[in-house]
Amino acid sequence: MPTLSRRAFASGVSAIALLSVAAPLSAVMAQAQPDAAAFVGDFTRKGITDILSAPIANTEKQQRFRDMFKTYFDLPGIGRFVLTRYWAAATPEEQAKFTKLFEDVIVYTWSRRFSEYNGQSLMIQGQQADGKDGTLVKSTIVGNNSSHFGVDWRLRKRPEGFKVLDIVIEGVSMAITYRQDYSTVISQTGSFAGLLAQMEKQVADLKAQQGA
Amino acid sequence: MARAAYEENNDPLEPMNRAMFKVDAGIDKALIRPVIKGYRAVVPAQGRKGIDNFLNNIRSPITFINDILQGEITRAGQTLGRMALNTGVGFFGFFDVAEKWGIEDHNEDFGQTLAVWGVGDGPYVYVPLLGPTTARDGIGFGIDAFLTDPLAWYSRGTGAMNWVEWAYFGSAYIDTKDVTMDPLDELKKSSLDYYAALRSSYRQIRAKEIRNGAPGPMEDFDQ
Repeated sequence: MPTLSRRAFASGVSAIALLSVAAPLSAVMAQAQPDAAAFVGDFTRKGITDILSAPIANTEKQQRFRDMFKTYFDLPGIGRFVLTRYWAAATPEEQAKFTKLFEDVIVYTWSRRFSEYNGQSLMIQGQQADGKDGTLVKSTIVGNNSSHFGVDWRLRKRPEGFKVLDIVIEGVSMAITYRQDYSTVISQTGSFAGLLAQMEKQVADLKAQQGA
Repeated sequence: MARAAYEENNDPLEPMNRAMFKVDAGIDKALIRPVIKGYRAVVPAQGRKGIDNFLNNIRSPITFINDILQGEITRAGQTLGRMALNTGVGFFGFFDVAEKWGIEDHNEDFGQTLAVWGVGDGPYVYVPLLGPTTARDGIGFGIDAFLTDPLAWYSRGTGAMNWVEWAYFGSAYIDTKDVTMDPLDELKKSSLDYYAALRSSYRQIRAKEIRNGAPGPMEDFDQ
């Protein structure tokens, strides 16, 4: 893929792969970072102790990961962003169904790789203002053999505290990638129901692969 | 709602691109994958990393020239420093000593230079064997291959591609496929429409390279 910088591409996309292992679960070396950065530090630290290094069955890890995801991520906000105008046009039932399926997609995509974690750590690099009420926390995930990649966390301040809206791995935003993916599916299948059906199938396949 | 350019599909050739994408998947399965499996079986991970470093070092003049063309003098200096350190201390580039010393790697090419000069990326194009690109990046790739690539200078006047170029091209190709195979598999698994997810990832990665790593705007979240 010469036209693409092969390194950037590899690090970008492999970061997505690695992130599923490392990010929620990393040992965190965040020090003296106020609020937003501390929030990222806290929940990633929790991820590693309560999920990754915890001596529990994979199904239990999945459940804990699901709880964390629901607590720390702004699911309605993500739904709004990923589905754009389709979100506004959907009924509350459809929105709820999408949110539940999206949660499943994330849980079963990431949990496939829990067992691959081997000591990656996350270092907070700093934070900056990001849009209205937003903060971008920059971090680096450091793996073995000195491999490392950048992960940016897009946070928004909600009444109940910080929530994660997006994770940007080496420049690739999960939210934007899902948005492009899903809007293509909606236009190809011709309906929001078409997207939900494909997500249902994906979740079923992922579950079957993991015996969940 | 303002949306950054890299978020638009700009894919007027989509039917043809999808056809090419499918052809490429066939080639990948029948030919590329077995070759990469063989490569991994024969060369251990550390060796593959060394080869990757070596090939990356060889192309650093391309980055250097494009740093200059973009007016990025500090980054040009970093590229030069990396080249000198890695070629000398790093055993012809097999070891990325510079990175250990804190001089980070970055990549530039003529596609990025065109972007800095204000050229939009143009239609998305999927090329079998080579993968995703855009009109601008494809032209940039051609210009790098003929003008800024030191191997092109080396073989200037010899006419057709010589064995050095073939060897470089072949090893760079295998290295690229080796490095990208697993991440792409992961992208395929996590997406519903792999074609659309790859197109989006490609544009985002290029946008980040053009911004030299700075985070992109995300005003949509506050709609």
